[in-house]
Amino acid sequence: MTDTAENTGEHKPVGAGWDFSLMMTTVALMGAIGMQSLVGTLYSWWAHRAIPNWEQTGYPGFVHVMNLIAGPIMIALIVVMGLCVPKRLFSRRTLMYVSTGMLLLGVGTGVVTQSVMTGLTVYLVVSALIQVAVVVLTLAGAGGLAYVSEVRLAKVGSGLLHLGFIVFALVIVALQSSSLMLPLSLVAGLLLTGGSAMSFYARSSSRAPVPDE
Amino acid sequence: MPTPDTIVLSLESLRTTLSSLGPVLDAAILVACAAAMATVVIPAFKPYLKWTLGALLGVLSAGELVLIWFHVRLWQVCQVIDPSTGHATGGYAVPIWIESEKLYVWALMLAVIALTAKRHGDELRPMLTVGAVLLAVGSVFLGHPFTNPLPDFLAQYGQYLSAMRSADLNVAYQAFRSAESSRVYYYNAWYMWAHPPLLFFSYGAFVASFAATILMIRHRRSSYEQTAYRWARLGYLPLTLGMVVGLPWAIIAWSGEAWWWSGKVDMSLMMWVLYTAYLHSRIYLRRRGMWRVVAVLAILSFIALVLTYVTTYVVPGAHSVA
Repeated sequence: MTDTAENTGEHKPVGAGWDFSLMMTTVALMGAIGMQSLVGTLYSWWAHRAIPNWEQTGYPGFVHVMNLIAGPIMIALIVVMGLCVPKRLFSRRTLMYVSTGMLLLGVGTGVVTQSVMTGLTVYLVVSALIQVAVVVLTLAGAGGLAYVSEVRLAKVGSGLLHLGFIVFALVIVALQSSSLMLPLSLVAGLLLTGGSAMSFYARSSSRAPVPDE
Repeated sequence: MPTPDTIVLSLESLRTTLSSLGPVLDAAILVACAAAMATVVIPAFKPYLKWTLGALLGVLSAGELVLIWFHVRLWQVCQVIDPSTGHATGGYAVPIWIESEKLYVWALMLAVIALTAKRHGDELRPMLTVGAVLLAVGSVFLGHPFTNPLPDFLAQYGQYLSAMRSADLNVAYQAFRSAESSRVYYYNAWYMWAHPPLLFFSYGAFVASFAATILMIRHRRSSYEQTAYRWARLGYLPLTLGMVVGLPWAIIAWSGEAWWWSGKVDMSLMMWVLYTAYLHSRIYLRRRGMWRVVAVLAILSFIALVLTYVTTYVVPGAHSVA
């Protein structure tokens, strides 16, 4: 791993601005999906009562519109999730190249194969490989990895948690009809839960709440 | 070798036995609920809260043992028989937390949490006891787990038995395929034994977290916030695992359906997102005024939990009975 910040000796922590932008974008996208879900649920509730036989006549159209709205948001969420991965591993300058390369690879694959799903799959596979490297290096105690927490267990937990999200997205995007769907769903579940548990129970901030009144 | 006729007789005997125990158990539960509420409401009785709560837990546990016995007997009695061979393909392993038994299991779980809560246990216990009592009373008057057990399952199985007893082999075969499908892919599916209990446990922990949040808002003490957080993170883990485990189930069982726009699924996702936001917002808890944001998120998360349950019954969709 010649490109890790430690080996190049040029490590500059990933900018707080970039980190914050990714976090805020994730929050905004999840908020958008959440709002869509809420509005969709309320509409279903209303239509179920107000429109006779809505389940037979109106439901397919409702699903179509909901999918149309959610599609771009979900794609954006996957892209942002992928961009969160290399920030642990690479210095600021290399990070820009790696992130751009990942995006170009995903878009290029999508254009060549004329399939958004294939482009996303390739993008997620690359993200998963980088995240596996992050987890392995974290477990090995390698220096130069950029984490907010200083606690090693929390770092490992964070790494596993992000890997779980990527595997989960991979299952939804590419493996729904595959025999790997079930085992990988379980792997994603264990990574998400195990990673969360490590993060929660290692984080020292959990012992420092100070309400201001 | 069981036949539809012998199964009908065994099933009737089983239901009669459970129904005869039902009024006794219902009365015992209601008495225990009244005693527990008295120790919550009347200050002079407050020292006895743990005892009355223990009694409620004891009665609920006794009832649960009866229900477990009922389910084991159902598994032995309710066989699915292939009409073309006459051989039984297996029994129904009906989970102990569906239909009429859902509220009962929640009441039992909340009673366990109320009794075993250590941190701020004395302050949390009255609120959790009220929650357990409400669920137990709801179970007695709405669920009827003893006097009207598993109405949907038994109605469905009754239809299968009727078809098997008819002279028409085509009707019997169609009923067999339907019964075998529901046995294998629903009642006996491992998801059914993993997905709901994980979520139920998380809901129980979130109720405790909500109670501690109320205490925090009322008393403005950070230690209550700590307690709320501890319960919430404990609930978040089975919530996440339970939801992810539900994914393959949904993909397999609802193949071809837009299950992801079911109101229940959407509200569950919203609940997960809100609890995620709540747990992460605590990182910034030292900032001035941030505890208010945390409190609001905790309340919203719990409202989403309640709506998730309600949505099942009022909004149509794959994961719904509306």
